[in-house]
Amino acid sequence: MTHRIVVNVETGVTSIVEYTAEEQAIHDAAVAAQAAEAQALAEAQALAEAQALAEAQAAQSQGTAP
Amino acid sequence: MGMSVTIDGSASVTINSGAVLGITSGTAVASTSGTSIDFTSIPSWVKRITVMFNGVSTNGTSQPLIRLGVSGTPETTGYTSMASMVTTTNNVTRGATATTGFPFAYQGSAISEYSGSVTLSSFGSNIWTCSGSIVNIPETFNGTVSGVKSLAGVLNMIRITTVNGTDAFDAGSINILYEG
Repeated sequence: MTHRIVVNVETGVTSIVEYTAEEQAIHDAAVAAQAAEAQALAEAQALAEAQALAEAQAAQSQGTAP
Repeated sequence: MGMSVTIDGSASVTINSGAVLGITSGTAVASTSGTSIDFTSIPSWVKRITVMFNGVSTNGTSQPLIRLGVSGTPETTGYTSMASMVTTTNNVTRGATATTGFPFAYQGSAISEYSGSVTLSSFGSNIWTCSGSIVNIPETFNGTVSGVKSLAGVLNMIRITTVNGTDAFDAGSINILYEG
């Protein structure tokens, strides 16, 4: 389980507080959304790079054609 | 005839309002796990809090920040703040505003280690200002943060966390000083 650390300044007691089931579900959903966003970003970047490479190759082949 | 008063430094002195005279140190806590570090039950007479960071690091890229809370719950909106940084690399400067907390770094990074302090000061009427300076040695930059936040009530807790709330702390330690 994910947790937070809590320091009570009045007592000086430090505790590790485990997430509730609801908090853990929210946390897991956020992590999944972040992973999906990172994956989509990586795919878009790879696609853009592939398109740029294809365009560069096409331009080069046109330039060298007899 | 003058009179001097000597106070034994091993004990605190409480004045009529309940405030403890002088500066009180919190308990240093290792910031080596968890998604947030909370300092709770901050007395209502406190007018200034210094949050100190010693090599604090997280495992992700989300911007780290400080949030203020009322009745044990941190407020997540309504901050007017900005973090900026200058690096030793070509003296580059950058800055970013924030509304969800007081960020103590311009941006987050898993290799960052933050050291320095941020001071939170009571302006009155549950308004708190923020000012701090933090160094990040692994990435060779120094950052500053400043801002203001109007709370819905009397501050009694602060939370150190990240914007996404899911990155975890993985190194360093944090402590606070507070005074009335």
